[in-house]
Amino acid sequence: MSTLAPPRGLITARPGFGSILHAEWVKLRTVRSTWWTLMALVVVGAGLTTLICALNAEWLASPEADESPGSFITFGMMLAPAAAVVLGVLTVTAEYGSGMIRSSFAAVPSRARVFTAKAVLLAAVLFVVGTATALLGYVGGNAFLEAEGIGVGLEGDVLRSMFGSGLYLAGLGVLAVAVGFLVRHTAGAVTILLTALFVLPTMVMLVPGETGQWINKLLPSNTGGSIAAPVMFNPNLLDPWVGFAVFLAEVAVVVALAGVMLRRRDA
Amino acid sequence: MIQARHLTKRYGATTAVDAVDFTVEPGRVTGFLGPNGAGKSTTMRMILGLDAPTSGSVTVNGHAYADTGAPLREIGALLDADAVHPGRTARDHLRWLAVSNRIPQRRVDEVIGLVGLEKVAGRRVGAYSLGMGQRLGIAAALLGDPGTVVLDEPVNGLDPEGIRWVRELARQLAAEGRTVFVSSHLMSEMALMADHLIVIGRGTILADTSMTDFMAHHAASHVRLRSPQSREVAALLSGRGFAVTELDDEVRVIGADAAAVGELVCSHGLLLHELTLVRSSLEDAFMTLTAEAVEYHSTEGVAA
Ligand SMILES: Nc1ncnc2c1ncn2[C@@H]1O[C@H](COP(=O)(O)OP(=O)(O)OP(=O)(O)O)[C@@H](O)[C@H]1O
Ligand SMILES: [Mg+2]
Repeated sequence: MSTLAPPRGLITARPGFGSILHAEWVKLRTVRSTWWTLMALVVVGAGLTTLICALNAEWLASPEADESPGSFITFGMMLAPAAAVVLGVLTVTAEYGSGMIRSSFAAVPSRARVFTAKAVLLAAVLFVVGTATALLGYVGGNAFLEAEGIGVGLEGDVLRSMFGSGLYLAGLGVLAVAVGFLVRHTAGAVTILLTALFVLPTMVMLVPGETGQWINKLLPSNTGGSIAAPVMFNPNLLDPWVGFAVFLAEVAVVVALAGVMLRRRDA
Repeated sequence: MIQARHLTKRYGATTAVDAVDFTVEPGRVTGFLGPNGAGKSTTMRMILGLDAPTSGSVTVNGHAYADTGAPLREIGALLDADAVHPGRTARDHLRWLAVSNRIPQRRVDEVIGLVGLEKVAGRRVGAYSLGMGQRLGIAAALLGDPGTVVLDEPVNGLDPEGIRWVRELARQLAAEGRTVFVSSHLMSEMALMADHLIVIGRGTILADTSMTDFMAHHAASHVRLRSPQSREVAALLSGRGFAVTELDDEVRVIGADAAAVGELVCSHGLLLHELTLVRSSLEDAFMTLTAEAVEYHSTEGVAA
């Protein structure tokens, strides 16, 4: 056994936010689930888009086509939120599940800083991976569309939907981190988020009249999702940027709630 | 130095820690002894700011844990639960901890060597044995070379060699002037490791004393006598100022010399069937002390 230096008892300066962010990055990249989830995101997001474009290019180019090719160019990205949400949730709930959250808060007693670091990191990673995946899907899918002479240019709404996909997934990552801190269980948090994103939209269709229309407008999959879509299917939804602002406000509410609860509850 | 003042923690109707006051001084190993559910882990979580006290306070070096700059450099802790993600390697676990407190990365390999995990540091923690997990926890506690070390049941799951290693490590850390606070349910273990003892039962402090004093006061011996004339024997001995207790079929003389008792009884022509010096072990002393405070009694015997 080697000897330890005698204790200094001196209190060193508080590490900056950069150190905490860096520590979260080390955590994120050193578990396999991160890479599996990101791989699933890329495969589904880009692969499915390419596949759907390949299967539909001929029909889209034919006279009986009643949909614009642009709506197919981000097809796979409709499922990408599932992977983003799982990644965001896991960075928090895996820590609660294993008890590691106690190591985290012992190392960084400011829970707000841990929360912020996780949220910032998830937003950054998902923005980059989300945008790259959307572009990859565009490149793959557009090759088939172009072969039929109906290629779409990377400009205007199509271009916006590329980094819009990144922005939407980044926002979902932050939302998932917040829900993870609120719920603390992987299955619970993932179920809540997938229900909100994929099940509620179909259920809301059963709510009649203006009430139903408004609820539909305000669902996060619509407020946040519009920016990631090159073509608006539903004229009743908010404009992409307006919708995204509302989405950010919705995320902020959940983040605030999670922040308050995190401060109050025992680790 | 760790100071608890009227420290209280309630979980709903359960009072896990009940207005305890204690000080853990530097330069010695302080044992924190108590049966299951006594409140040891809860107290340690409050020291680390993980659980908020219902009332009262606990400070490390005079301030709340959260007011520490780089906490791992001031206080290192091994908690009862693993507190490690099973999918991450030991080295990576120590690595992020080091980064978070700006501890140089070479320290990671230093502590891995210190706890003897060199060969397995690159393996996922989920595949670790209980003892390897404990060693990793101790490595994490020592990562920041802290002046205060808190270990919650560090010998749990260790083999005899490992137990001895922890004991020597704790003693060495204290000898270097650090504050060392170690919990256990085993009095025998504490007797070998600790200089000072804080005994907790059902959330209250039952003893706060030096190990030597504890042994002198609690590891008492008594002389057991059996006699067909036990009433007369008891009367004789208490008449001579001995501390006598009469039980069903025996007479107990506390803190007496067996030879003196035997000679006295014999010289009065009373019959003796048995004369035994009974030394109660430290474990017995601990049991007696915490008897009332034990949370979970095992049911005697096996159901018929
Ligand atoms: N998070 C919690 N919620 C509810 N009750 C709790 C919680 N943590 C501890 N308790 C209760 O508080 C009491 C003290 O528990 P604690 O874990 O501190 O005991 P301990 O002395 O560490 O026991 P052990 O030797 O078994 O580790 C127990 O009755 C326990 O059930
Ligand atoms: Mg415990």
